[in-house]
Amino acid sequence: MLLTPWLQSLGLPYAAAWLISQSVFIVILSVALLVMLAFLLLFDRKVWAAVQIRRGPNVVGAFGLLQSFADFIKFVLKEAVVPAGANKGVFLLAPLVAFTLALAAWAVVPLNPGWVVADINVGILYLFAISSLGVYGIIMGGWASNSKYAFLGSLRSAAQMVSYEVSIGFILITVLLFAGSLNLSAIVRAQAPDIRHWFVISPLFPMFILFFVSALAETNRPPFDLPEAESELVAGFAVEYSSTPYLLFMCGEYLNVVLMCAMASILFFGGWLPVVDIWPLNVVPGVIWLLLKIWFFFFLFAMVKAIVPRYRYDQLMRLGWKVFLPISLAWVLISAGYLFAIGRIS
Amino acid sequence: MTKLIIDGHEIDADPSLTLLQACELAGAEIPRFCYHERLSIAGNCRMCLVEWVGSPKPQASCALQVRDIPPNRDGTPAKINTKSPVARRAREGVMEFLLINHPLDCPICDQGGECDLQDQAMAYGRAAFTRYREFKRAVEDKYMGPLVKTSMNRCIHCTRCIRFATEVAGVPDLGATGRGEDMEITTYLQQAIASELSGNVIDLCPVGALLSKPYSFTARSWELRKTESIDVMDAMGCNIRVDSRGREVMRILPRVNEAINEEWLGDKSRFIWDGLRRQRLDQPYIRQNGRLERATWNQALGLAAGKLKATPADQIAAIAGDLAAAEEIKALKDLMRGLGVRHLDCRQDGAKIARSPRQGYLFNSGFAGVEAADVLLLIGTNPRREAPVLNARIRKTWLYGNLRVGNIGMPPDLTYPYQQLGEGAGLLEQIASGDHAFARVLKDAKRPMLIVGQGALARSDGAAILAQAAQIASQTGMIGPPGSLAEGGWNGFNVLHTAAARVGALDLDFLPESGGRDVAGILNGAASGEIDLVYLLGADELDMSRFGRAFVIYQGSHGDAGASRADIVLPGAAYTEKSGLYVNSEGRVQLAERASFPPGDAREDWAVLRALSGALGQALPYNDLESLRSAIIADAPHFAQRGSLPVSPGADPAVWEKIGTPGKIDPDLPLKSAIDDYYLTNAIARASTTMAECSRMFVNPGRMAAE
Amino acid sequence: MAWLDRSARSIFLWDLVVGFYVGLRYFFAPKKTVNFPFERGPLSPRFRGEHALRRYPSGEERCIACKLCEAVCPAQCIIIEAEPRDDGSRRTTRYDIDMTKCIYCGLCEEACPVDAIVEGPNIDFSTETREELYYDKTRLLANGDRWEVELAKNLELDAPYR
Repeated sequence: MLLTPWLQSLGLPYAAAWLISQSVFIVILSVALLVMLAFLLLFDRKVWAAVQIRRGPNVVGAFGLLQSFADFIKFVLKEAVVPAGANKGVFLLAPLVAFTLALAAWAVVPLNPGWVVADINVGILYLFAISSLGVYGIIMGGWASNSKYAFLGSLRSAAQMVSYEVSIGFILITVLLFAGSLNLSAIVRAQAPDIRHWFVISPLFPMFILFFVSALAETNRPPFDLPEAESELVAGFAVEYSSTPYLLFMCGEYLNVVLMCAMASILFFGGWLPVVDIWPLNVVPGVIWLLLKIWFFFFLFAMVKAIVPRYRYDQLMRLGWKVFLPISLAWVLISAGYLFAIGRIS
Repeated sequence: MTKLIIDGHEIDADPSLTLLQACELAGAEIPRFCYHERLSIAGNCRMCLVEWVGSPKPQASCALQVRDIPPNRDGTPAKINTKSPVARRAREGVMEFLLINHPLDCPICDQGGECDLQDQAMAYGRAAFTRYREFKRAVEDKYMGPLVKTSMNRCIHCTRCIRFATEVAGVPDLGATGRGEDMEITTYLQQAIASELSGNVIDLCPVGALLSKPYSFTARSWELRKTESIDVMDAMGCNIRVDSRGREVMRILPRVNEAINEEWLGDKSRFIWDGLRRQRLDQPYIRQNGRLERATWNQALGLAAGKLKATPADQIAAIAGDLAAAEEIKALKDLMRGLGVRHLDCRQDGAKIARSPRQGYLFNSGFAGVEAADVLLLIGTNPRREAPVLNARIRKTWLYGNLRVGNIGMPPDLTYPYQQLGEGAGLLEQIASGDHAFARVLKDAKRPMLIVGQGALARSDGAAILAQAAQIASQTGMIGPPGSLAEGGWNGFNVLHTAAARVGALDLDFLPESGGRDVAGILNGAASGEIDLVYLLGADELDMSRFGRAFVIYQGSHGDAGASRADIVLPGAAYTEKSGLYVNSEGRVQLAERASFPPGDAREDWAVLRALSGALGQALPYNDLESLRSAIIADAPHFAQRGSLPVSPGADPAVWEKIGTPGKIDPDLPLKSAIDDYYLTNAIARASTTMAECSRMFVNPGRMAAE
Repeated sequence: MAWLDRSARSIFLWDLVVGFYVGLRYFFAPKKTVNFPFERGPLSPRFRGEHALRRYPSGEERCIACKLCEAVCPAQCIIIEAEPRDDGSRRTTRYDIDMTKCIYCGLCEEACPVDAIVEGPNIDFSTETREELYYDKTRLLANGDRWEVELAKNLELDAPYR
């Protein structure tokens, strides 16, 4: 995208230049994401350890910085066990699906003005579609494992994700009402220039809370990690997975978590925008701001994991359908009414 | 009868009892160290103190007779308290005194875990604290021979050992020197206790002062598995408890059986156990090129079966040894009968005993019957060597009663005085005909008895001697009314055996069948080549050089004379390693339980014979001990009545005239005991180093000096 | 009022805030982690680690073969055989501990009348084969020689409470 004009100036036709520049961008984005993921994983474990007055991984590399890479090597080198009764094709396809979809969602996430793989106008809908597909990976994995635990875990996961997608949908609608666009870059621009116009400092604040909690549920993070609930289901849908397939599942899961952090930043915290639009903050590149916000939300995710006990399944369902859905629905009406009253929409 | 109130319970006690016994009748437990039921009363430990209400001081209950306790002035029975604070504090004080000089070395003491002082200090001692600040007394250990180890620091001067040696063993070798704290138990000249019963002082010692030397430091009482069994070292069938750890027998202790051994045990029986570990046959052997080579069971049994089949039945002989249980005797007899073999014998020493009547080879009075006798005639026997525990009972009877003992034979070294009547067997005829003065003594006696030893029977004129003895018995009124002793019956005709297997084998008729050869005949036959194959079932007391060119199959537990002559060795089990029935001299059937397993490939003897019968193709009709015992009972019904004494049928002339064979007696050949060396009478004893040491020390002291 | 209070707490997620506060407090608290092979936590004098048989300062072994440890051992992992030594004293000829059976309860130590068998502070005695964990008398005495300084100190420290 950024390279396109430069490549054109070298004499390449537009189509070729576009293709090359997109490919390069996608590769860079993916690699950067995955490397960041490695450190996020370490960060997750470190935060968790800190709350438990431990030190966390500190043996591989300085402060354990290379722990995730050691884990990666270990995962890759281990034997991939396929259970005897498993449907082999589906069993191996499932983690690929989960991982690919988690990565694909990042196509519409704007990192900086113009830094986006596909700056489409229906970015929100695309995200919605992709994250709905994400549940397939889990369903497939749970079913193909031919194990009761895995199957129960995947059923729980599906029901949980479907439930919370409904309220996330309504939350997004309120945001869309305020932003007036489905394009994520446009949503960020609607919050310019700084914290004064961020949606979190607006009647949408309750929606941010709801979004955050729903994001936890949507990504199967504690306290909503019922699909893998070690104490009940051993490891849920992933119980039969080992080695690289498990690694793919786990990476997919964490990519989704990071995506949710990015979404929270973009929808409510002004994406790449600085906190206060003054020098020197406004010369810091937008991507740095976005990353800071993502890390902040990830920190919150990690803290929640450390301090909140797991929900019971019926509590989870009650929260989704009987609390979040009515509130978000009501907030759509209230937001719309508010915007109508101040004349933003007619 | 005297009335007493003991701990609130009124009892009516026999005035001749001691207060301690009366308290026990009332159910009270009285701690004691010096008091022992079978010894005289010393009253020196003071542990048995009880409160006699009204008496200014607590009373030593063991030394106070019930007849000496008068009723209270108002006529109510005297009140005795055994659990009152006075009695308790008195015992606590005594215990504290006893412990003043007792070392705290329980962890290295072999008595630890079965120590009276330990137990009673826990039960009756002061609980709270110690007041011992002074040094403890130190006493030099005494030498008491190869069996008894001493640790005299631990002695509490109960004098049980002294009283045992003087009263029961009849050897005044032990005594005390000094008084008070300086008192020491000693053998005076640092000599060994010259008694066959010396081991019993170890049991009697309430602390760890006298201990078993061979057993020392090898095991603790709590790690031993206790098996009730029967001793086979002599023909008394003493009741023993075999203590084993893992596969090894660690020690042997007597069990109480009032009718047989009371609670004593001879030294051979007690210390034989190291012989159970040495010289064992743990594998079959076959002689090849003059050497015994290791073989498998299949090879050995196959070869034995082949030889047995190839040899004509008339040229096969079988001899049962002295330690065999009834089971293997029965199995061997059935096996040989199946082959048509007639040359069977169980009398290795050549004793001239016949199968019937049964009274002709039993100790009819029973060992306990000795105590009822008033005159005893010993014929060619030395009970001290042949049955030391019986000898102790004879001494006890002499000591407490008016037993008069006469002896015909070489004068033995007994523990009681006896009238030496002469050495030659000719005296028997004189007594039988009433010409001898002792005949009058016997006739005047209320319950006279005689004991014929194997030494008298294992002579060429043995059968005539036996007939003569039976004649004396019936002539002098030894055969009293029928019935058991308790019913007033009396039978004073007794044969004392030396081999534990003998009576059982006679009961099962392991004797030459009509036309068969006895042991002497078998040996002669083998020497002259008329007997080609001899089967020895643990028979080691034979002159092995006389087997000539005969093929010898030896089945037994120890590598002794028999095994070294044998052409095939089949390893069997020793008496602690098999469950077997033994019949003692009295005719009492007793069951010996298995305490451990035979070593290596060795198997229980009846099973070996059963396997051999299988290899021969004529399997014996029993596959387990139960069916084998049923077969034995079918043969000899009295095997079903275990532990009971045969009841005397009375003076039936039809019986008494059939005992022995009247014949000519060599009148001048002196009668002597069958046993020269008490400590080395069988293969197990000969394998034991302890027994060898005892033999060197007590029987052949000259040889030791020469070394 | 209670209802109002509860509702307010619920609506403003007070529990979460408090939880977050507590979590953060611990987040910054000093860490308890001990980097084990490089750092070690303190061990009590009563710590029950690897067994050792001690000697007297004269070099004479303490064990007198009383077999109390063997008797008290609930896992029955001690096997002792004894016989009189040439000088007549009571000594073991075999003292085996099956360390794979041992449950490290310390009863052997408690039972020992001469402080011969002790459980020392050593915990680094993992082996590559099972057989190496079947300790015999030589091994136990060697342990005692190696750890004697620590063992003696631990016993001394614990002595007032025995």
